[in-house]
Amino acid sequence: MFKDLADFAVKYALKKGADYSEARLESTTSNSFILKNGIAEASGFDKINGLGMRIIKNKTLGFASTNYMDKEKIKKLIQNTINTTEKASKLREEINLSEENSYKNKYEVKQKINLNDVGPDEKIKILFDAEKELINTKINIPSRYLSLSDSITTEYLTNSDGTNILATVPKVTFFYLLTVEHDGKTSQRIWQYGQSGGFEFVKKWDIPSIVVNEVEALQNNLKFGIKPPKQTLDIVAAPQVVGIMVHESGGHPYEADRIIGREGAQAGESFITKEMLGTRIGSKAVNVVDDPLLENSYGFYKYDNEGVKARRKYLIKEGIINEFLQNRKTAYYMGIKSNGSSRSVNYDRESIVRMSNTFMLPGNHTEEELIGDVKLGIYMKNFMEWNIDDKRINQKYVGAESYLIKNGEIKGPVTKPIIEITTPQLYSAVDAVAKNMEYHAGNCGKGEPMQAIPVWFGGPSIRLRKIRLGN
Amino acid sequence: MDPEEISNHVLNKLLKAGADDVIVSVSKQESSQIKFSNNLINATKTWENIDLGVFMALKKKIVLTNIKELSLSAADDVVNKLLKFVKSASPNKEYAGIANGSFSYKEVEEGYDKKIVSLGNNTIDYVEKAINKALETGAKRTAGVFENSVANISLLTSNGIKASDKGTHSYFSIRAFNDKYASGQKTGFSRMIDLLDVEKLAEEAALISKQSLNPEHGKFGKFDVVFEPLPFANIIDNLGGAMSAFSVEAGLSCLKDMIGKQVANEKITIIDDGTLKNGFASSKFDAEGAPTQRNIMIDKGILKTYLHNTSTAKRFNTKTTANAGLLSPEPTNLIVNKGNFSKQELFEQVKNGLYITNVWYTRFQNYNTGDFSTIPRDGIFMIKNGKIGQPIKGIRISENILTLLKNVAAVGKMPERVIGWEVETPVVTPAVLVKDVSITRPLD
Repeated sequence: MFKDLADFAVKYALKKGADYSEARLESTTSNSFILKNGIAEASGFDKINGLGMRIIKNKTLGFASTNYMDKEKIKKLIQNTINTTEKASKLREEINLSEENSYKNKYEVKQKINLNDVGPDEKIKILFDAEKELINTKINIPSRYLSLSDSITTEYLTNSDGTNILATVPKVTFFYLLTVEHDGKTSQRIWQYGQSGGFEFVKKWDIPSIVVNEVEALQNNLKFGIKPPKQTLDIVAAPQVVGIMVHESGGHPYEADRIIGREGAQAGESFITKEMLGTRIGSKAVNVVDDPLLENSYGFYKYDNEGVKARRKYLIKEGIINEFLQNRKTAYYMGIKSNGSSRSVNYDRESIVRMSNTFMLPGNHTEEELIGDVKLGIYMKNFMEWNIDDKRINQKYVGAESYLIKNGEIKGPVTKPIIEITTPQLYSAVDAVAKNMEYHAGNCGKGEPMQAIPVWFGGPSIRLRKIRLGN
Repeated sequence: MDPEEISNHVLNKLLKAGADDVIVSVSKQESSQIKFSNNLINATKTWENIDLGVFMALKKKIVLTNIKELSLSAADDVVNKLLKFVKSASPNKEYAGIANGSFSYKEVEEGYDKKIVSLGNNTIDYVEKAINKALETGAKRTAGVFENSVANISLLTSNGIKASDKGTHSYFSIRAFNDKYASGQKTGFSRMIDLLDVEKLAEEAALISKQSLNPEHGKFGKFDVVFEPLPFANIIDNLGGAMSAFSVEAGLSCLKDMIGKQVANEKITIIDDGTLKNGFASSKFDAEGAPTQRNIMIDKGILKTYLHNTSTAKRFNTKTTANAGLLSPEPTNLIVNKGNFSKQELFEQVKNGLYITNVWYTRFQNYNTGDFSTIPRDGIFMIKNGKIGQPIKGIRISENILTLLKNVAAVGKMPERVIGWEVETPVVTPAVLVKDVSITRPLD
């Protein structure tokens, strides 16, 4: 780590006239392994060492990054950034940061089995084991793409307000894409597992069982699936589906920078306005939070990339729009404090408002109770295609593993039930929430250049009343 | 040590240690961005990067690395780690080598612009002019980015290839708003700054925005759709992914087993051209050092080839198309050949249809079948008896990509150069009329 370079950069920017300066140093090592149709396609490792800076002068924001860890180069970069902000100040958005406590701290996510102590052979063996189990099922799986990756990132954040945070977070990720064929028809699932922590989680996941369960369910659906009913019915959505719903329409529209319009040309804006705080968006059963502090989560952090202490944010409380995700800039704009939602994926990206782990809070029911009270419905365990418009109203989820519910009991599989619904309709239709929590991993896209940032999304099973499935 | 010496050092050490194939690349990039929204500059951004990339095959074991550091000690670390890593790696039985030959390279025409190199803070003036143009045209708000970069790459391979290239890139994206639900977006790119008219893009975005005020909820059903170049480029970008031999093998392609077959209407010809004059992804050579070329991918609707590197080409009994990607071949610039119709003439062929100016969040239900949906955003308009009418909102295209391409009824004659937040592959395409596009929407 070149901590002294970051400290130097912050001071040098002030000396050159900056009103605020911040430096973020990143050191990441990572490994990845790909198994494609039983063949070890490739393995690889990457290394990142770099410095990203934010400088504010005359209320104008300049971001600069370099991986030349060289004092003279950094001096020049700072001077250029200052010059550019000076010129941009004629047309700048006024940047003010909310007043926040400054912390000096360090933290590390512990690994029970250190990623560096596990050789490449052992890592790829996990994928070969999964491949073997897939072949043993005798199911026709024409394409099998499995990848395992891990990384260890150490970040040092320092700013002219006195912040000094040193954080080390290891992460593990398993990704798969499986295509099952039956009678000339195919079905496909892409999913991902991710956590912060060591290799112990890769072992705990039991990757061979994950993929075998997946292909068995896909085959069952292809073999025995019937078309879903056309009439109005109820849906019990399982945690994977609830997770993506909450991420897309319970998380994204609450990002304050979208609400203000800063992402207008890219990820879009939000149907939610500041004036909608305190108004109803869903039934009383709906509670959605974003919480970076979940231990060993994929979106874990204790301090955000502006040095603000992380905390749980209640985005929707008993169906009421309660709080937005804020960084220091949006917080100042809205006259409040930041809630620690500023993240950047790497040293060479500006930190912006992001989710961390977004999920619906559990209720008191069991999943069986939710199903038990459905006369005609669909149990949607997971999904394939999905999307949502850029204001986060009109969304679609196509069920993958899904079953018919009749008179309170799960029956045979149904093919491709489609939920195509608006956000207020979706959250208003929730009449009961179960207590079976699950969290799933994804890489959320936002920003330009793109920042695909690790997050968890999740929740318990929920019941949606009176839904008409899409075509 | 300079990049060339370091590359030689890495190559020689790996060959001595028994590597069969080695590719060492060093790329340097300096870039800048002005990000704006609500008619104001949110941030100025500057990047300086150097990357050392190494590909090694040893007894068919493939290891790749990329490190953001260039020094002799870092290079030695890489070599040691590569050799340690490869010991416990597993062989890729299907691997079939890298490009071999003594090649001569052609410079990319209009690929390097000294004006971009010395652009500096003048980028701010371009943004100011564009914002002003959009506002003059009647937009209320604008958001976007203006990006410029200068890049150098040098490549050294164990097959004796030694090559270098340099390029400049300029990209502009603007979204104009007249209301929360009235907007228009345009993007453009160029390798030469004077060939990128940011004010024209701003004006066009503002015109779409102004026209799209007071949208009504759209209806579901089958509609004839005139796609602007921007949304059609989004679809072609996704098709480009399916053209890669890697996608075909990995189960990510609806073009599997389709070579020689009709995959699009005969009005559609698509070319991948890595040599394209002023092409955003044009370069002298691909990631193996093979000279880039012009590949006819779809000829009058018939799929002619996949995109290949040397290794995938051998597996498919053909020659590389110079689209390496060391693991996965990638498209360069995708060109949809122009047709005969002005945009007005495309509209005139529609009795009851839609005019779609942008889409986003394209997602596949199944990459094998090509079933997908995507959401129109910004100006969406009804077309009635050849005339653009009522703006609409709240709809989704739920289609199959091959069906959509087979239903192309007419191709415009004015190509545009598109790249954007969701269009990662540069696409040159005119507007296109597609019959019977399936439109869905949530119920009221």
